[in-house]
Amino acid sequence: MESKMKPDGEKAEPPGYQRVVLKNASPHHYLKVRLLLEVESTRVSAVELKRFIVSCLRGLHGEVGAALEVDVLKYDEETLSALLRVHSRGLVKLWSSLTLQGSYQNQACAFRVLQVSPFLLALTGNSRDLHLD
Amino acid sequence: MCADLSRTARTLLVCERSSFLDEKNRISSQVEQLRFNYKVSVLLPACSSSSSPLDSILNRFSSFYLIKKLPIYDLLDKDFLHNAVYQGSVYGLSFRTRIDEDNCVALMPNGRLVLSLDKDTFEMLGFEGRPSRFNNKTCSRFVVPVDLTDSSMAPGGRGYLRLLKVLRSHLNLQMDFLISHHPGGRATLQPLLSRYVWSEHRPEVSHRSLSNLVCPDLQSCDPLSLLEWLGAVDADVSCENLSSSFLSTLTCPEPKTTLSQALSVSICGLLLPQDVQQLVEQLRCYLQQTQKESWASVTVHGFTDSPVSWGDHEHGVLTRGENFYNLLMFQDHTYRLHLATGAHDACPL
Repeated sequence: MESKMKPDGEKAEPPGYQRVVLKNASPHHYLKVRLLLEVESTRVSAVELKRFIVSCLRGLHGEVGAALEVDVLKYDEETLSALLRVHSRGLVKLWSSLTLQGSYQNQACAFRVLQVSPFLLALTGNSRDLHLD
Repeated sequence: MCADLSRTARTLLVCERSSFLDEKNRISSQVEQLRFNYKVSVLLPACSSSSSPLDSILNRFSSFYLIKKLPIYDLLDKDFLHNAVYQGSVYGLSFRTRIDEDNCVALMPNGRLVLSLDKDTFEMLGFEGRPSRFNNKTCSRFVVPVDLTDSSMAPGGRGYLRLLKVLRSHLNLQMDFLISHHPGGRATLQPLLSRYVWSEHRPEVSHRSLSNLVCPDLQSCDPLSLLEWLGAVDADVSCENLSSSFLSTLTCPEPKTTLSQALSVSICGLLLPQDVQQLVEQLRCYLQQTQKESWASVTVHGFTDSPVSWGDHEHGVLTRGENFYNLLMFQDHTYRLHLATGAHDACPL
């Protein structure tokens, strides 16, 4: 799409216009989740969270579900909130297994799925986070 | 029969390539399409916060105002219509109302008032409307669009008096309201503001300096990988993972380079399209002044709970509610524009 220079140094015509509409083309979906625990002081590391997610998938969808590739893109140990990435075809399995998981190491827990999008960029601009004093 | 667990809601991404030098480029109208902007993020390579070319333009972004418990019928006040709605552009949006749960109201710069109401509120209102596109199996949500510039809605007109009556007596709808006006600003809105508890707000600006940023080839990178990379930069997510890593396998698209320095700036609030347009123009000037081949990325997020998106089309949340666009500008005046929208939202033009 670079502009080409004519031999006499004048700028060539600008490149043409191109428009493509991609429908259902996102290979991944991204989830912003938060883990709520009965004992709020419980510490959960990123590795422990990933293991827990895999166990959630195994619990509801078996070994096939546990084999689903889930990436923990970002994790905050203070708030137990994480950004996850999963293949689009595995979104429903992951989301359902997180929703239906009720216990973590013998204490009650709940996954709050705060936002889901096929675009990671969309998770960085949620107007529901706007607070005005 | 088992449900197909691999299916997801429709995703739509419009990808455009063109040049600012092309007389037919529609960047201005496309920026205008997204009326209620919540956040603008800018990514500039080879730039630091101390030498940011953006400070002056970001400081000129318009202030916006929060009115507490505004009765919606007061948006039909004759003086407000004559001085604000008919003169210039009013941008108004209910604040802290969720489009999938609460009643939401938007006042658009073209003089259209849109009420997105639940079933009970719509029936109490008793005004013409239509079922929302975002209903599931039952009609639980309705949209009432009103063109305040139509002759029947002129103060004193039959439609105007009827709407005023239903809003005032059938349904005294009050909500916190974000409002801004271009070009008049506070002076134009003062008569409305003075009747209620209100506060003025400046858009909140934040800077982040990045070092050793891995960057893909922005001209050839496919759109989805590009947006993933931009999202990773904005969310401060590492792209330097091994394929064998347990936690994350997210990597930067190939081929890639490393930027020694970059600047990420974001501004949040009720941001007007006119200010975004000025920012784009300023960045274009900046790119012409830089020595080497450079680029600038601008991402604009719309309000999740706005009743409208991409012009006058209805917007909903379902599971996502995204409505954003990313403009990637290059030094040779070419650009890549990506517009993303939610599952049942209209396709951006």
